[in-house]
Amino acid sequence: MLLILLFVAYPVFATIGVSLFSSDGKFAGLANYGEVLGSPDTVNLNGFPKPPPFGTLIHSAIWIGIHLPLSLFLGLWLALVLRNVKGASWVKTAIFIGMVTPLIIGGILMLYIYDGSIGIVPKFFGALGIQGLAVGWMQRPTTLLFGLIFGSVWLWTGFSLIVYSAGLTTIPKDYWEAAQVDGTSTFRMFTRVTFPLLKPMTIVVITMTILWELKIFDLVIGATSPQGGVGGAADVLALQMYRYAFVEIPARRGVAAAVATFLSILTMVATVSTIRYMVKR
Amino acid sequence: MAGPGTPASEPGKASENYRPPSARGRLIAIIAALLIITNVVTGLSAFYLAQPTVSAAALCPGSAGAAKAPAATVVTTSLGTDSSSSQFTFHIDPPFKPTAATVTVVGPWAGPEAEPFLRVLENFTRLTGTPVTYKNIRQEDLTQILPTQFASGTAPGDVIFMVSSFIKANGPAHMLKLTGNVSDAKYTPGSLDPVKVGTDNYGGVYTGKIKPGFWYRKSFFAAHNLTVPTTFQEFKDLVVKISKISGIRTPIVSGDGVGWPLSDVTEHFIATYGGAAMHRALMNKTKAWTAPDVRAIFADRLVPLLAGKCFSEPLEWNTVALTNWWGGLHALYFMGSWITGLVSNATDLGVFSLPAESGITRGIVFAGDYFFVPKYTANPTEANQLAEWLAGNEGQDYQVKQGGHIATALGVPLSDYPAVDRGVAQLMNGVQILSDLDDTIGGTFQTTFWSQLQLLWVSPNQLDSVLAAIQAKVPA
Repeated sequence: MLLILLFVAYPVFATIGVSLFSSDGKFAGLANYGEVLGSPDTVNLNGFPKPPPFGTLIHSAIWIGIHLPLSLFLGLWLALVLRNVKGASWVKTAIFIGMVTPLIIGGILMLYIYDGSIGIVPKFFGALGIQGLAVGWMQRPTTLLFGLIFGSVWLWTGFSLIVYSAGLTTIPKDYWEAAQVDGTSTFRMFTRVTFPLLKPMTIVVITMTILWELKIFDLVIGATSPQGGVGGAADVLALQMYRYAFVEIPARRGVAAAVATFLSILTMVATVSTIRYMVKR
Repeated sequence: MAGPGTPASEPGKASENYRPPSARGRLIAIIAALLIITNVVTGLSAFYLAQPTVSAAALCPGSAGAAKAPAATVVTTSLGTDSSSSQFTFHIDPPFKPTAATVTVVGPWAGPEAEPFLRVLENFTRLTGTPVTYKNIRQEDLTQILPTQFASGTAPGDVIFMVSSFIKANGPAHMLKLTGNVSDAKYTPGSLDPVKVGTDNYGGVYTGKIKPGFWYRKSFFAAHNLTVPTTFQEFKDLVVKISKISGIRTPIVSGDGVGWPLSDVTEHFIATYGGAAMHRALMNKTKAWTAPDVRAIFADRLVPLLAGKCFSEPLEWNTVALTNWWGGLHALYFMGSWITGLVSNATDLGVFSLPAESGITRGIVFAGDYFFVPKYTANPTEANQLAEWLAGNEGQDYQVKQGGHIATALGVPLSDYPAVDRGVAQLMNGVQILSDLDDTIGGTFQTTFWSQLQLLWVSPNQLDSVLAAIQAKVPA
């Protein structure tokens, strides 16, 4: 309890405290929160439809909207496909390497993968004749955010693969056998047997992935800059917080703390709601 | 009743004989289809978003056709130190047992850029007997490292090279006042202004580099019968002519990294066509980036070249961009005078500034390499000794002799400069010397300036939003 108070409760309340003061130490109330939510750094939809930047909050939503289903379904699909394949553990290990690669390295890898001159992705689209995508993805606001999201799918899929692979081993084979005996189709077997029984794993994957997406930082700064790349097109909440605290001269620690608190609230909402859902079931 | 693979005659062995559903084809197909659809939808979104919203007639039409020219493979540098790492440490000991404490120098130079500076430090050690350790840390990283270390009463080195805006902002709280050689009387006028707080110097300035203009290979110009332009129209004609040369990707290569090479080009356009006065007004924050005359420099001079594909997309400045330019995929490269130390044959280098226009007093940016001694140094005597030596003409003379640097200390003879640097120095005749704009303002303005210029380079039609975003980050 003492450790929790010291290392969890105190930093949380200290951060909230800092967020209520301006940079010159005067009490600011909720002004820092207003500044964050009203800032074009956070939400910037002026002139929409337009290419990014849309602001860190929208970028995080886009990140979740694309990255979550892709990494979840890809991991599930690979877990199903590799279930009874000889040598699957080697394949799973290879896929899981992305998960254990430091994300800052992952970010630097993105620079090369998407480089307009030597990157494999632009070369691939160039070979397909899609010249609009045969360009440096990291140099364009239209492709930067999507490039990082797709790259992060590669890095994160190992997590859902391992969780689902573990989940599949817990399902008694009798269930499938009974369904098979009843002549159930493979699709119905998946929707009525496999997927429902994997629900706890799905909740874990969804919760952890959303948390990961909300706090993503190192991948973005590794691939771009403290500003979130060209025009701030890949700016995210954690980077915004870091920039306010450590790049700006003078530092705006109150506003940075407000971003940190806001980020904590978002992650708490995601975590609590999924855990409540899990417990209710 | 019984399904395939579960013989009705052996019901008791059903579990043992169970095979996981083997006919998963439909399931896999559905999931694969979902993945494909998701990817295609997202890919198409990215594709359509990637289309330029404004189509402009390409000023440099030949460039697009040469987009598939092979990457250059010319190695332009010879390295004595490990350049594969962006961060390295180098230790120098005197040839006898040292009695003085080791001074740790933190500087931004790595690879071939660091070699001449290491020779300067070797000379210091040889003359004074003080051992020196050189650590390479990028100034962008120091921006984040130093405030944290200062807060805990420490610093990563005894003499640290850092941008002037940071020294000015943190000097009184965390840095030692410098005296001796670090005084106005021993420098070219104004050199110490960016690191002064009141009358106190919290930093010194080592050598500097000027950012004179566009570099080219004399052999390339001679082979293609190209001449240095004397008017802006001639400059445009030159890039159009270059774009039609076989094998050229774009006439001008755009160096990039975190964004500063683009800011250097932009500052050159401002200092040439807005003049030194406009450059200083922007730096002093007395003129807005959205002002009509500032916007006109961008809209009339720079944006047409960007929209016309005369500049390449931003490429890593000292690897891809440098190699491609030297290898003949591009003809012009805007870079500072340190480029003379990065190529294999500096005698083949030529440089020209953007052509002047009558009635405008031009300026050229001179970027000094500023350093400071942190209050938290454990070796203040040795650190000050090195700082004074670097600030004086003796230390700087070693550096300028090796090329690429211009002395800030008085008393370094012009005859000590390599021929190419003397040529560079001549470009400074008749123009006003300016400080680097974004280094001087620093902070989030600098990073925003860089990222917005990266945006302008690939989306020149977004000029107004770019200028507005830059202006929004100008500190009060």
